[in-house]
Amino acid sequence: MSTATRPTSATRRGGAAANNHPNGRQRQRWLPWAFLAPTIVGMGLFTLVPIVASVVLAFFRWDIISPPSFVGFDNFAQVAQDPTVRVSFLNTIGFVVVAVALQLGLALALAIMVQEKLPSWLRVFFRSAFFFPLILSAASVSIFMRYLFNEQFGVVNWLLSFIGIPAVPWLTTPTGSAAVVILVYVWQNFGFSFLLFIGGLASIPTETYEAASLDGATGWRKHVHVTLPLLSPTTLVASVMAIINALQVFDQPYVLTGGGPGDSTRTAVMVIFESAFQRLEFGQASAIGVILTLIIMAITALQFRLSKRFVFYQ
Amino acid sequence: MPGSNGMLREISRRTALGALGAGIVGATVASWPRLTGMDIPGRGDNSLSIAIMGTAADAAARQRVIDAFTRVHPEIPVKVQAIQAVDWKDFFTKILTMVAAGTPPDVVYVATEGAQLFAEKLAHPLDDYLRRDAADMKEYFADVHPSLVEAFMYKGSLFQLPIDWNAANMYYNTSALQQAGLDRPADNWTQVDFRNSLAAMRKARPSDFTPYYWTNRLFGGVVPWLYANDTSFLKETKSTGGEWFWDSFYAQDPSRKLRSGGYQWLEPNADDPRVYETFDYLRGLVKDGLGVRPEEGGGSSLIGLFASNRIGMTPAGGYWVEGLHEAGMAEDGFDVQFFPRWRTQRHQFGTAGYAIMKTAKDKDAAWEWVKFSSSLEAMRLVFPTPNTTPARRSMVNAELYAGRGPKHWKVFYDTLDKFPTTGPIPAPAQEAAVETALMKNVSLAVSGDERQLKQALDSMQRDLEIALRRQ
Amino acid sequence: MTTTSTRRVVVGQPLPDRTVKRKKRNWSMAGRIVLLAIASVFILGPVLWTLSTSLRPPAESFQLPPSFLPINPDFSSYGQVFKQLNIMLLVLNSALVTGLIAVGQMLTSALAGYAFANLKFRGRGALFSIVLATMMVPVQVTIVPVFMLIRGMGLSDTLLALILPALPTAFGTFLMRQYFLGLPADLGEAAAIDGASPWRTFRSVYAPLAVPGMAIVGILAFNYHWNEFFRPLIMTISEQNFTLPLGLVSLQGNLGTGSISVVLAGVILSMIPALVVFMFGQRALRDGLTAGTGK
Repeated sequence: MSTATRPTSATRRGGAAANNHPNGRQRQRWLPWAFLAPTIVGMGLFTLVPIVASVVLAFFRWDIISPPSFVGFDNFAQVAQDPTVRVSFLNTIGFVVVAVALQLGLALALAIMVQEKLPSWLRVFFRSAFFFPLILSAASVSIFMRYLFNEQFGVVNWLLSFIGIPAVPWLTTPTGSAAVVILVYVWQNFGFSFLLFIGGLASIPTETYEAASLDGATGWRKHVHVTLPLLSPTTLVASVMAIINALQVFDQPYVLTGGGPGDSTRTAVMVIFESAFQRLEFGQASAIGVILTLIIMAITALQFRLSKRFVFYQ
Repeated sequence: MPGSNGMLREISRRTALGALGAGIVGATVASWPRLTGMDIPGRGDNSLSIAIMGTAADAAARQRVIDAFTRVHPEIPVKVQAIQAVDWKDFFTKILTMVAAGTPPDVVYVATEGAQLFAEKLAHPLDDYLRRDAADMKEYFADVHPSLVEAFMYKGSLFQLPIDWNAANMYYNTSALQQAGLDRPADNWTQVDFRNSLAAMRKARPSDFTPYYWTNRLFGGVVPWLYANDTSFLKETKSTGGEWFWDSFYAQDPSRKLRSGGYQWLEPNADDPRVYETFDYLRGLVKDGLGVRPEEGGGSSLIGLFASNRIGMTPAGGYWVEGLHEAGMAEDGFDVQFFPRWRTQRHQFGTAGYAIMKTAKDKDAAWEWVKFSSSLEAMRLVFPTPNTTPARRSMVNAELYAGRGPKHWKVFYDTLDKFPTTGPIPAPAQEAAVETALMKNVSLAVSGDERQLKQALDSMQRDLEIALRRQ
Repeated sequence: MTTTSTRRVVVGQPLPDRTVKRKKRNWSMAGRIVLLAIASVFILGPVLWTLSTSLRPPAESFQLPPSFLPINPDFSSYGQVFKQLNIMLLVLNSALVTGLIAVGQMLTSALAGYAFANLKFRGRGALFSIVLATMMVPVQVTIVPVFMLIRGMGLSDTLLALILPALPTAFGTFLMRQYFLGLPADLGEAAAIDGASPWRTFRSVYAPLAVPGMAIVGILAFNYHWNEFFRPLIMTISEQNFTLPLGLVSLQGNLGTGSISVVLAGVILSMIPALVVFMFGQRALRDGLTAGTGK
């Protein structure tokens, strides 16, 4: 039943695999570019040109109102000295490590549980439930989560009181705020990784498990020895996506904590926003943005490098 | 699987794709005016454009003012643009965006938070117009307290006329007070009385209740306490100038001698011992369970908590009355009193009024709008309900608060008359950076031990230094 | 990349459980159901609380124990939302922006994904890496130059300012490339033998087969842009050009004087269109992502 929306074997005819169209008009070199034009023109105009402009802007002082003036490396020097910038980068990295680990762990565990034998109506229900937070906007989620995490009157502390935990000052202490931002972020975003894992699990051939059970692997050992290695390509995609998104976290801390208390939940992207749109230091904001982008690229490159060693392709 | 089935599916998909394509083209063409904003009335025309913070409903409320204005000045076409924003900082960002987009408004409704930013960079002084129309303006200034006007003085020039304002007074829940066996606090109650009242309320209601709720923001957070203790987190000085203005409009005012060419906040002051003392007092309230640790990011839970009788006291201004009324709070369920006295009983207030942009196409027309908006006729049209306090003394009357409370609404305007040193929110041109520097250290300062308090104030001092250095 | 046909057969099927003893299996299934149920309580609880609180006057909003089920609903907050916001215009704007972006992304990503998967050209790998790399640039970094660009095009404060920059999609292109790689490559040969031009081969053979993949791109784009906050915050000024999330935030009022029930009612209302799209698209999403990331 689930194959209905997929290409069927009926459309598949014999022949060797090839990557291009071996038609008579091979000379049409422009053809791929016609297909790519909308994407390339759009990205060039709205992403690559702005990136270059942003790099240039990093060497200027500019407040939108008066014309920009060239200041050399001043912006970078100021950024390097600013303790808030440093703290916010460290926060971001800490956030990424904890949030991504939780997000992927939770998504994987739930995906495996949902994909094993279950009554199908329950499977549909659980899948929908876990995906649900993804359709909410981060801004509105943060609005109602603030109420739930209120120290005196929030539902969370009320529930905790039943297991003997005294009121936790969630939004007013550094660790409490960081915990709330991470919990709310994971609550909202794990559904995406969950969905990717569901897809990945479904693509593991049945025979593999048959072979594994013949070898006597059952229960969780089956998953450790069969599922995880076979799922590693999905895990790579899911973790790359999760890390890229987490590195750019903005909405949740912005609405939940405003970056505080202190700088405890201020993230790198928030600092960019604040220096650009609240303090009108567009040059400095660009400098921070350039540094952040370089860091993101370095991390992603590292991931792909590592993936060569750990990802198992069928 | 039979091949014909697959064929059929392909054909239907192809049809679907075709229909999709046609649909997009159709929808795009049909909605082109919407996509390009061409359907917005008055877009790109030459009418005087006025930006206010608010929603469509607020703009509609202004329509009656526009109609009245058009009757007086049929030659000046006007459009009011309501700009939705979470707070003033957000609103100013929007205005700057409009400047960057090359479509700045001619007149902007600016609050104290942005007064000096606008005066420094964007606004045109009103001095020449005030001189010219001095006779017309006498009536307005006679009805408006000079403290409000002084907040819009910058380096000797006046940039805005106050339209509405709010001071941080103390709201209390009448039943919580009664339950604790307390009477209405005296007008000159002190910070010690305040603490004792909180303790009594705490005793009367040990759970599901907080005697003192406060939020971490520039208005009504820690600053009113600093003002009461005769200090602030920034060194406050005043510039000279503006003598002609005070002499022409406030010569007879008892507080005439206090008036200046405007406030200046140039240096951080978080290392002042009185700042430490004030924070330590608040820290004591938190430690003894009398007050909450203040949350950052606005006070969106506040109205719900207060209206559901879970808060004993909280600082707020006249703007709060309508909100409490809408949240279902009875007229006699709450009341308001002056902020407690410490070394002084100086209050903190915020005010707002129209500023003319330097880039305004027709500044004379813009002034006519500013002037008309300050008239009794216009202000009556704008403030039918107490969702803020009108700047005109004559409008803060029993009629405005009828059926909504509080019983002692007179406290609102009396704040200015009784305490003439009452001052504006400290907001230099770098307000956004200053606000961040203050807010981010408040929670830490009041929720730990003395060492943490000391550290937080040191870090506040350093952050403020960086913030003020920025230009 | 070589097992596409095997994989496709089991798409969306549960993992086969080969535990030998039946009793043990029942126990483990019951345990799993309990765990999954607990997880879904944590996921759905806050949403239910929001729904039930939006149906009560603000003075009752902080009831403890909290009520998760709306008993004696009071719909006045919903009326307030309609009174305070021109919600139909907000919905129209959001629908226009989101719909055109979704459809636009489906087209651009299908075309580009096809080229990356099935056409050979110089610099293909490098270009694909660049496209992927754009995912790593935070929107906050490029927003100011994009804003100035939009101003230069005379599109400041229009819905097109939100739509145009969002038409190309790196993630969508990635998904569609994977999708086309998953289709049997010999399809094109057959078409070519029949004398079809490359464009015709794409249009008549590959594009129809890729509709499920495009649906995923569309749904994800819809979901993301329906809830998008930052770009509309910067790019739109007139309230006539606002999208839903911006309108919702303004319900909170200055200094938080807005009513919690009204704010939450707005949150619930804004959820509905996304919920509908999600319900219709869920199957396509799940099945399609299988092909998109399985390798």
